Amino acid sequence: MDVVLEARQLAKAYGVGRDALQVLGGISFSVGKGEFVSIVGPSGCGKTTLLFALAGLQKASTGTVTFNGRPVTAPPRGVAVVFQDYSRSLFPWKSNRDNVAFGMVRVEGLSSVQKRDKAQEMLEAVGLQGFEDKYPWQLSGGMQQRVAIARGLASQSELLLLDEPLAAVDAQTRADMQDLLLDLAMRFKQTCILVTHDVEEAVYMADRVVVLTRRPTVVDHEIAINLGKQRDQITTREDHRFLAARHDVMMSIRSSRTAAPATAA
Amino acid sequence: MGAFRFMEILAWFRAIISFLIIIVIWQSIALLGLVPEKYFPSILAIAAGFRDMVISGELVSAELRTLSRALLGVASASLLGISLAVLGDLFPSFRRGFAPIAALIQPVPPAALVPMAVFMLGLGPKLYAFIVILVTVWPPYFNGVAALASVSDVQIRTGQMLGLSRWQILRQIKLPAAMPEIFAGIRYASSISLIAVVVAEMLAGHDGLGFLLIRKAFAIRIPEVYALMFVCAVNGLIMNTAVNGLRWRFAGWQLRMAGQAA
Repeated sequence: MDVVLEARQLAKAYGVGRDALQVLGGISFSVGKGEFVSIVGPSGCGKTTLLFALAGLQKASTGTVTFNGRPVTAPPRGVAVVFQDYSRSLFPWKSNRDNVAFGMVRVEGLSSVQKRDKAQEMLEAVGLQGFEDKYPWQLSGGMQQRVAIARGLASQSELLLLDEPLAAVDAQTRADMQDLLLDLAMRFKQTCILVTHDVEEAVYMADRVVVLTRRPTVVDHEIAINLGKQRDQITTREDHRFLAARHDVMMSIRSSRTAAPATAA
Repeated sequence: MGAFRFMEILAWFRAIISFLIIIVIWQSIALLGLVPEKYFPSILAIAAGFRDMVISGELVSAELRTLSRALLGVASASLLGISLAVLGDLFPSFRRGFAPIAALIQPVPPAALVPMAVFMLGLGPKLYAFIVILVTVWPPYFNGVAALASVSDVQIRTGQMLGLSRWQILRQIKLPAAMPEIFAGIRYASSISLIAVVVAEMLAGHDGLGFLLIRKAFAIRIPEVYALMFVCAVNGLIMNTAVNGLRWRFAGWQLRMAGQAA
């Protein structure tokens, strides 16, 4: 399998000297083309720091990230992020269609009409036909996140980084959105990395789960989820392989947490 | 959007009612003789004074001069203020260096600038340009700096991920996001601009509403003085309407968003 993204001994410390806080302690993993990988870890393990380093939004202290073999030092072309805070990631002065089309702002070789058509297509793919001319603030939270996902897909990125995209929506919407994301990832053969604190979500969505330790964070272990690409909210979650994987990840996160000394600094 | 139109009409209606109430109170005070008529003429006397000045032509020419000075002043001061704020956003060292200068000049009242400005710039248009811009530039500048600095990190990161350069992020994300706050500054600036023009005309002008007001006051033409005060108030409304029109064009989304939330 072609490796799309690779992190090698990624470490990040905030501050210097005695006050330095070592967040990432040397993280290594890789993601292959077309894979859906979840990254999950205990609270405060630096998931967002890791995601920003993968996206090129923030420099790591040591270690490297490579995207398609090239080192990442700034946001590379071909990587899109869907942020948790959809309401502030969308632009309230643009209609939903223009928000999605803005995902192609630096895509060359497309006329503005083609970008408009593509935006329309992506809005339909996330089930928002009829809302093209509305504004994000006229939509519910889940629908706003769909617009942000449509923008990520429209940007024709090889890799989609999902930063807890469903943490702010209600439980039922979350289940629908999980299935939507899986469906889209399959349809567009999209490579995805999902960063989440929700173990069930991590296992349900992924082909492989990367489990992190507490700070200074390293990869505790990886676990392949051999449930096929087709998932179902009811039967998959009852499958003994799903339950075994969930058990494994939860145990590992619990042992990380209980091993943690009181970190009230 | 229909709801917003309705609210706007309601607001106008309320304004007219308030205005009528003021006229009724005014006229009652004048008729009852609570204040000597010399200092407090009736509405009819003020209207007659207004009519006389319109017929003589002095009011129209003074009004056009004052209003055009104030409008030009607030337009150029706003453009300058926004440009300085953008410069400050691109070059933080400029913003830091400019801050003490701004803090020093900003509180100087317009009247205090007039004597030296007359010596240096004479009595022509340069005088008005200098005074109006120097006192009007600050609200758009300070609001612009604050608004550009407080654009959400998520929006900026979104722009970075889409491959935008710093300049493109400023142009396509930060400026549109900052527009509502900038327009709040421009709105404030428009009333300052009007005050500055009238004060400059009073102290050093040879035309305009401020000059006419002083002349009428020295001639003890009290109804005319009141009529001119009324014209100044209407100018405030005109400026406000003009600024609101532009605000709809550049930051209308925010008004629609607020209208929906209400």
